[in-house]
Amino acid sequence: MQKLTSLLLTALFIVALGIPVTAQDATEIMKKSHLAYYYAGDDGLATVNMTIIDKKGRERSREFVMLRLDESDGGNQKYYTYFLKPSDVSRISFMVHKKVDGNDARWIYIPSVDLVKQISADDKNSSFVGSDFSYEDVSGRPWTEDNHTIKSESELDGKAVWVIESIPKKKDKGFARKVSYIDKETFLPLKEEYYNKKDKFIKEMRSVEIKEIEGFLTITHRTMKDIKKNRITHVRFESIDYNVGMTDELFTERYLTNPPAQYIK
Amino acid sequence: MRHILLYIFVTIVTLATSARTEVEFDGFLQGLFGARLDQANPVMTEFPVSESRFQLRAQHWGDRGQAFARLDFVYDGAGEVPTTEWELREGYFKFRLGNSIDVKAGRQILNWGTGDLIFINDVFSKDYKSFFLGREDQYLKAPQNAIRIGYYNPIGELTVVWTPRFTPNRLPDGTRLSFFNPMTQSIVSNSSYAEANLPDPKFENSEVATRLSRRIGNFKGSAYFYKGFYKNPIGFDQTAMLPVYPRLNVYGATLRGALLGGVLWLEGGYFDSRDDLDGNDPFMPNSSINGMIGFERQIATNLTANIQWQVDYMLDYDLYLVELSPTAYIRDEAKHLLTTRWTKLLNSELITLSFFGFYSPSDEDMYLRISGAYKYTDEIELTVGANVFDGKNQATDFGQFMLNDNIYMRLTYGF
Repeated sequence: MQKLTSLLLTALFIVALGIPVTAQDATEIMKKSHLAYYYAGDDGLATVNMTIIDKKGRERSREFVMLRLDESDGGNQKYYTYFLKPSDVSRISFMVHKKVDGNDARWIYIPSVDLVKQISADDKNSSFVGSDFSYEDVSGRPWTEDNHTIKSESELDGKAVWVIESIPKKKDKGFARKVSYIDKETFLPLKEEYYNKKDKFIKEMRSVEIKEIEGFLTITHRTMKDIKKNRITHVRFESIDYNVGMTDELFTERYLTNPPAQYIK
Repeated sequence: MRHILLYIFVTIVTLATSARTEVEFDGFLQGLFGARLDQANPVMTEFPVSESRFQLRAQHWGDRGQAFARLDFVYDGAGEVPTTEWELREGYFKFRLGNSIDVKAGRQILNWGTGDLIFINDVFSKDYKSFFLGREDQYLKAPQNAIRIGYYNPIGELTVVWTPRFTPNRLPDGTRLSFFNPMTQSIVSNSSYAEANLPDPKFENSEVATRLSRRIGNFKGSAYFYKGFYKNPIGFDQTAMLPVYPRLNVYGATLRGALLGGVLWLEGGYFDSRDDLDGNDPFMPNSSINGMIGFERQIATNLTANIQWQVDYMLDYDLYLVELSPTAYIRDEAKHLLTTRWTKLLNSELITLSFFGFYSPSDEDMYLRISGAYKYTDEIELTVGANVFDGKNQATDFGQFMLNDNIYMRLTYGF
């Protein structure tokens, strides 16, 4: 009998332990989300189509190949972007060494003048190639820079989500409050709402399409809407490939000026 | 020579096409029209610039490398009689030898060093004619027929550029832009322009430029050596009674990296005037030491600014003073040049406003480049701009162009 009681107690204890696993702590969720969103695989490659539609319905588009290499999950990353379209920026390459703490280093190569230029980059909130996405939106804002709280658990597009509020630890030019809708199953953000310091709704990110690619759930189509300008940017990822075996050497001036044909052809 | 270049272009295109491989074409169609602000200019043409340009680019990625060509056709209506011109801006093959050597051979644009529109160790060909007329910034760099070899290893990289035939700068010759003629001591038109003799096309007259680079923490350091000629004809051949390109060696170094939320660069070079080693030849330039410091940072969202300070220190200055003809302009021993660039992006980067100012407190002259560009669509861009020169003396670098103030309008359709 005593044996049975202790066995039951142990079982109960295990069940009790299981509860915190589902009711996760907000910071832990945001960390997992960040890793799922920005650190899939050790490296990644995609052709990106970007369409910017303004309030009058005028469209502008950009097409580029993007390479990413992670130093470690959640750690520093290296990015390489090679522009295909439009023709005034075609063949320009762009490289970022992203530092989780500290300023990123950025270089641009303009082939028509054979110019390698290091760009001063202390503003992560500036627009990425004129779109509604900022540099930070493209490469991710570390979860450690905000305080997170779970506001509620609800449903979005038929999926169970955590609704998490994030407030920057240090005053930030980009936003004062962010509300993320994180898919409980995949940890990917389905929607993000950004508010400014007057708590006005300023922009909205939406994951439109999620596909499983080489075992990694990937947001293959997302949008960012600028509420005030009434502009929206669509980003579509094509020809995605993970763990292709990129090396650090790819993210040097040698390849900035001699784009790696095997990835961008 | 020009036929060879066209042949290269056609070869690249046909080779690529016949190999049933993919050749990508793109380019632009552009109209550029400029007007003078000074009526007293002695030049011959009515307009500084009035041209339609068609640029065609062809690119092919092969298994072993890449072929690229950029060909410009220009209909030039600035003169009394319209002319049609073409130029192969670039036409090269790029390939890899082993794992650590990259080769780029053919007609190409070359650029190195750290300065923003000012150059010390970059002794590659420039086109100041285009620069002052309102053509796109890409035209400041003139092509050279050269072989460029890069050797990369974990310690650093070595780049050697060999230009078999000396390629000079393209300078205002009085057709569209008037300039100062030291012989007549006045600002003149093309009628008193004397074409300088190029060095004989011999092996020993070829140009060699080398660079050795490596990363030092957050900075990149490079050492340079150039052997060739001054790119401007600043010497004078007394027997031929013509300007010449004096022999030049340059030894220099640069350092560039991120600092204080911006980018800092330092550059220095020793200009060794090989035809005037002692500084006592009045017809040849004295050697000099050149230094520059620059800093750029983003000041506000979509606003970037930089400043540069350059000093050109002439060696054997006392001999220079003795040699000078009594009527000549006397430059300072240390010539200072200050520059600043401001770039503002507006309307989600559809509008770019740009200001670039050069000012020399020693020569008391200046040059301003002001422009505004609007991207109407991804394909269509309209640019308006101005080039303004001023100086106390008409013999200085920018002062000589004081009658060439101009405004221009440029409309580009990219495809």
